[in-house]
Amino acid sequence: MNCVEWEERIALYAGGDLSTPEAHAVERHVAECAGCQLLLSGLRASLALVQEAHGEPIEAAHFAAVRARVLAEIEGGRARRWRFAWMYAMAAAAVVLLVAGWPRTELRMVLPVPSAPAAPVVAKVVLPRPGKVATVAAKRVKEPEPEPAESMVVKLLTNDPDVVIYWITGTKGE
Amino acid sequence: MAQAVDGPDARARTGDLAAFEAVMRQYERLVLVTALRLLGNLEDAKDVSQEVFLRLYRNLDKVESASNYQAWLYRVTVNLCHDVGRKRNRSVAYEDVPDQVSPEADPQQSLTSAERHKVMQMSLRSLSEKERAAVVLRDLEGLSTEEVARALGSSEATVRSQISKARVKMRDFVERYFRRRV
Repeated sequence: MNCVEWEERIALYAGGDLSTPEAHAVERHVAECAGCQLLLSGLRASLALVQEAHGEPIEAAHFAAVRARVLAEIEGGRARRWRFAWMYAMAAAAVVLLVAGWPRTELRMVLPVPSAPAAPVVAKVVLPRPGKVATVAAKRVKEPEPEPAESMVVKLLTNDPDVVIYWITGTKGE
Repeated sequence: MAQAVDGPDARARTGDLAAFEAVMRQYERLVLVTALRLLGNLEDAKDVSQEVFLRLYRNLDKVESASNYQAWLYRVTVNLCHDVGRKRNRSVAYEDVPDQVSPEADPQQSLTSAERHKVMQMSLRSLSEKERAAVVLRDLEGLSTEEVARALGSSEATVRSQISKARVKMRDFVERYFRRRV
């Protein structure tokens, strides 16, 4: 076995990853091989360096920031779930009420119907005839403005929830 | 390593946020530092940590006992870092080493904390993703080969091979780094 083939085992040995018999074999080889002694010392030195660097503390603020972000996300998710739960609960309650037919009393709704737009003003001009004492009179003749239509909608509920009667009527019984 | 979190753990499962915060405090170093070593970037590591703990919260009842927390957290952290690394693909060549360390008889002894940290991060980045994950969990986090294999979903033989290759590469990197300065 040449030294290249020892490399993997020496690397494992440096980190304490060999069984006792394997470790003894590596120790015997390293004891008589200068190149592998160098390899082993280099492995140990680099391992010590990275482990020392790894052990250095990280600022507590970074951990706190992560914690705060996680907790905010969880609380935000909870609030969203509650909002949806309320919406679903209200919708479900409305459906239950409709299906149960409650309240079964007649409901009267009066909705104002928008008035018709005002009619345009028409002006008639009477011109003087020649030879007569004439007066020029201009007479504005107004056409009567339509009264606002006061309509209403009556909604009649029946015992059958699928049947609803709408009655649209004016106040003059039209 | 992991300690039992019976109290906070049980209360966290019932939705107690203060208890979940206690669980986070117990494992935050494990998650953030592992992510930082795997990604080499603190902001990415914080993002990954946030996602790891959110997943833990959603899966509290699936992680059966406190003793499983550690393995579960390592596995999820490594997987999420893998996803982030795949998107960003940050690989650093050996030649990208900046001139930062002043020449000394024994340069490794003269390293400041920041320099040591830099050498560590750069040597980690000289590894393949799988080698890095294996060596971070084994040599830096101190897991056994069996625990590393479980966290990475590999066989122990594969992990041993990855660890030995990673150690040799890191040693080559560190020696090369200091040889330039002496």
